[in-house]
Amino acid sequence: MASLTHYIVLSSILFGLGTIGFCTRRNALILFMSIELMLNAANLMLVAFSNFMADMAGQVMVIFIFAVAAAEVAVGLAILIVLFRHVREVDITKFNVLKW
Amino acid sequence: MDLYFWVFASMSVLAGLFTIAARDALPSAMGLLTVFIALASLYLHLHAPLIAIFQVAIYAGAILILVVFVIMLLMAPGERLAAIQANVSYRGAGALLGLCLIGLVAVGTKGVSEIVSMKALPEGFGNPSMFGDLFFRDFLLHFEVVSVLLLVALIGGIYLCKKKL
Repeated sequence: MASLTHYIVLSSILFGLGTIGFCTRRNALILFMSIELMLNAANLMLVAFSNFMADMAGQVMVIFIFAVAAAEVAVGLAILIVLFRHVREVDITKFNVLKW
Repeated sequence: MDLYFWVFASMSVLAGLFTIAARDALPSAMGLLTVFIALASLYLHLHAPLIAIFQVAIYAGAILILVVFVIMLLMAPGERLAAIQANVSYRGAGALLGLCLIGLVAVGTKGVSEIVSMKALPEGFGNPSMFGDLFFRDFLLHFEVVSVLLLVALIGGIYLCKKKL
């Protein structure tokens, strides 16, 4: 039986991958997917703790994270489409109008 | 040796690597889909069948399809190979940051499993009726607040996609 430590390490690896992706990629869509990866790592941690502490509240929290992720994607992708109409590009280095 | 855990854990890590390393957005989305499915399988193992179903229905079924629609709508080109190669030091710094984070979590949570993994699961743990009971009794206010959040996101999304902003 895999212990809680296994799940903690797996979750932190996935979160780390998401962080690396977010810090190094320049395609705005891949940045979105990196954020989704980080949210999923958090979900895994919540479900694992919920199981090992025999407390269902962790699973309820995951539902709220689902809702936040759905809201984030809906608004974020809408913003991205508006940006694309102006700049014709999804490379975040091209979005430099506000850059000093 | 827990084969089930290792199969899906390695699957999710490899697919996660593919997600952040793929050159174009669409293969990256397929990698993310694999991560979602692997994590749903792990949720089944962790006595959370409802969360596993929601993971497939909401994440893989709704959120990822939305992302794929936008990728295909925008038809944006992938990153130039030269741009990726010129970015090596930047990438190294990002990888170092991520590895530090993983190490920090691994050290910080050392010994946690001995503290918490003592309790036995109650009868019917994780089944939908128990979940619904908790969700709509103890978390009713939170549920309503989240529904307002989703409504605001819906209105925001529609407003942003108007022809003339």
